[in-house]
Amino acid sequence: MNVLELRSITKTYPGVTALDGVSVSFASGEVHAIVGENGAGKSTLIKVISGAERPDSGEIAIDGGSHKAMTPLLALEKGIAVVYQELIQFDALTVADNLFLGASDRGGLHAVDDRGNRKRAVEILREFNCAISPDALMRELSVANRQLVEIAKAVLKKARILIMDEPTAAITVEEQKCLFANIRRLKAEGVTILYISHRLEELFEICDRVTVMRDGKYVATKGIGEIDKGVLIRLMVGRELTNQYPAKEPAGDEVMLEVAHLSGNGVEDISFTLRRGEILGFAGLVGAGRTELMHLVFGAAHRTGGTVRIRGKELAHRSPSDALKAGIGLIPEDRKWQGCFVDKPVAWNITVSNLPKISRGLVVDRKKEAALAAKYRDAMQIRTPSLDQLVVNLSGGNQQKVVVAKMLAVEPDILIFDEPTRGIDVGTRYDIYTIMVDLAKQGKSILMVSSDMEELLGMSERIVVLHEGKQTGTLERAEFSQELVMALASGADDAAGCGCASDGTAEAGEGTKD
Amino acid sequence: MKKTNWTVWVSNLSLPILLIASVVTFALLNDKFLTQINLTNILVQNMHITVLSTAVLILMIIGGIDLSIGFQISVVAVLIARTIKEGILPIWAAIVLGILVCMVLALFNGAMSRILKSHTMIVSLGTMAVFQGLSFLLSQSKTYGGLPKEYQYIAQYRIGGWLPTSAVITLVLVLVVGWFLKRTYLGRHLYAVGDNPEAARLAGLNVWRIKYLAYLIAGALVGVTAVLLSSRTGSADSGMGPDLTFTGITACVLAGVALKGGEGTLWKVVVAVFVLGVLANGMQLVGLGTYPQYIAKGAIMLGSLYLSNRSQKAA
Repeated sequence: MNVLELRSITKTYPGVTALDGVSVSFASGEVHAIVGENGAGKSTLIKVISGAERPDSGEIAIDGGSHKAMTPLLALEKGIAVVYQELIQFDALTVADNLFLGASDRGGLHAVDDRGNRKRAVEILREFNCAISPDALMRELSVANRQLVEIAKAVLKKARILIMDEPTAAITVEEQKCLFANIRRLKAEGVTILYISHRLEELFEICDRVTVMRDGKYVATKGIGEIDKGVLIRLMVGRELTNQYPAKEPAGDEVMLEVAHLSGNGVEDISFTLRRGEILGFAGLVGAGRTELMHLVFGAAHRTGGTVRIRGKELAHRSPSDALKAGIGLIPEDRKWQGCFVDKPVAWNITVSNLPKISRGLVVDRKKEAALAAKYRDAMQIRTPSLDQLVVNLSGGNQQKVVVAKMLAVEPDILIFDEPTRGIDVGTRYDIYTIMVDLAKQGKSILMVSSDMEELLGMSERIVVLHEGKQTGTLERAEFSQELVMALASGADDAAGCGCASDGTAEAGEGTKD
Repeated sequence: MKKTNWTVWVSNLSLPILLIASVVTFALLNDKFLTQINLTNILVQNMHITVLSTAVLILMIIGGIDLSIGFQISVVAVLIARTIKEGILPIWAAIVLGILVCMVLALFNGAMSRILKSHTMIVSLGTMAVFQGLSFLLSQSKTYGGLPKEYQYIAQYRIGGWLPTSAVITLVLVLVVGWFLKRTYLGRHLYAVGDNPEAARLAGLNVWRIKYLAYLIAGALVGVTAVLLSSRTGSADSGMGPDLTFTGITACVLAGVALKGGEGTLWKVVVAVFVLGVLANGMQLVGLGTYPQYIAKGAIMLGSLYLSNRSQKAA
């Protein structure tokens, strides 16, 4: 029997269709996984079910009634609870307080029944078979225990549909066992669990059915017994590669950047080389540590081990300014917060990394400043009414060009593009790709982090794949396939050795490399 | 686009208009207001406040607020007065020492906010108490009056019989700081670091080196403030600084200096100082004493916060 059914749900954000006519139903007492690549629409689906977002069209059937949209209150009444990846809890309060906040069934003003709450807390925590004291402060608990408290809270609210967003992302193997035991127990009690995870193996351990989504569309729902990991991956990535990418000249032989056994900032033992004029892609799911790795190479994060060599010369750089001097530039992931100074003019932004060079003594030379800004505005084809325009008034694509211009003005040999086209409209994307290919042609070398599979396969000459902070593979162009990248990104069964598959076939659909 | 220009005009002109309006109002209310003596008074009474507000501006541009500047003034003024009175150092050396000490105190503030990773306002609340204790230890709760004529001349001498030296010193400092903020790349760096520290760091700027520079400059300016004030009054005690903190910050808020950092225009701060100065002077003349003035200053602070919030939303 279905407890919850979504019918033709569509949700659009400006410029993106996050959900496109998605229909899916969830049966009572099942553990139902929802999988898909970055941007497949999983998060939006959760938000629609929990009432955090209102769909543009479609309906949600629950308890025999049908609704145009859920609201947080309605979701609560219907027994829907979400355990988010980033837990929202009251750190300074005790476990018992957290359990009972908002769960009161009495209306009006009344004193908090501390003793009664504590007793019920002890009971419920005992059910969860975990050693959490109801008197412990929330902030003293591990991530896994915080999660359990959140689940316990949902149970207290008599949740019948429990949505778990990446519950195993930050917990240990032991803790995972405990979590799974509790999931099975809840399932036996008839609770339906929607389980979102990037880790494909664990789906086979805990789930009954799995729904695959891709680019905001529903792809398929399969019984877990009917499929294996290879099938699942093919369902996740099986899209047509249609977009065109500008033709790129092959990279030179000269090794520009050599990273060996680099560790720190959440990544471990990463090695790769970058040749002159090469575009090297970095694939991985959200949280794989790609941005963290780039910050490490750029000196913006603390390195715990390994070496970075530029043209064979070892760099002991400890700060972005050292990296820039050595010829590495970073175009950060988050334009607005890391990339530019939005309430400052375009010219100001383009020249900010380069001021001493365009100054005479201490004084900024206005003419040189204007010339430098104009030069890179033209090179990047930034569309702005004037160089005095504030960056906040530009489109996303043009803001991104300003960020690139700022870095190029320093004339680095190596450029790191972290999600170069995120949130940029399709037309401007091609501009950015052309810029990158042109830069490579001029002899610049590029590291490109991207969550867009097409972009990765279309632009890169080689791809390094990361999974949870570790390098799971390095692929040559001949080996490129969506399936293989996805398999490595979701944690191939053996993570040993990279530069795999020397026979150069593109047929590597299964989850393992050998 | 047009609207932006229009709002920029209004926000640029509102302060001068406010200044003129308050001058006209008090001129109408009291015929002593527009006399040469009174106008010179307003000028002389606000020189040290102008220098102090310049320091506050610099600290606010890098995204901080410093509540301890008032007691920094007390420490330095008392230190200089005592060293001179007790004949430990010649006047010039005492002044240099005082300004250097003030730079150290400012740097201490900066270092504390870096080490403690806390908001500068709360950190400065702590250092304020430290400086308060320090200044009372130095002064032993005494007032060092009757400072030598030579010392008093620093602020009080009239060049050509009419131009106060304090005004010349202040004008020079304001011009230098204005030039520094607007024309030099270091000034540009201050704005960058305050506007978006993470973007500044990733753009290769050495964020903390830049912040320390700002603290040093602000410290030197606070030191000068202490000299100007104690020279004008001819005395120094531990209670002379604290009230000024509020005036300096109010002037900057009134001038639309962004609390989040990265924005702020020096000339507006100077005009704002005089708006507050005219108000204080005028209220005194029309018979409203110190306490109504407190209320007026507070109301101005709250009113300009409201206005700056509204203009930020509009942008």
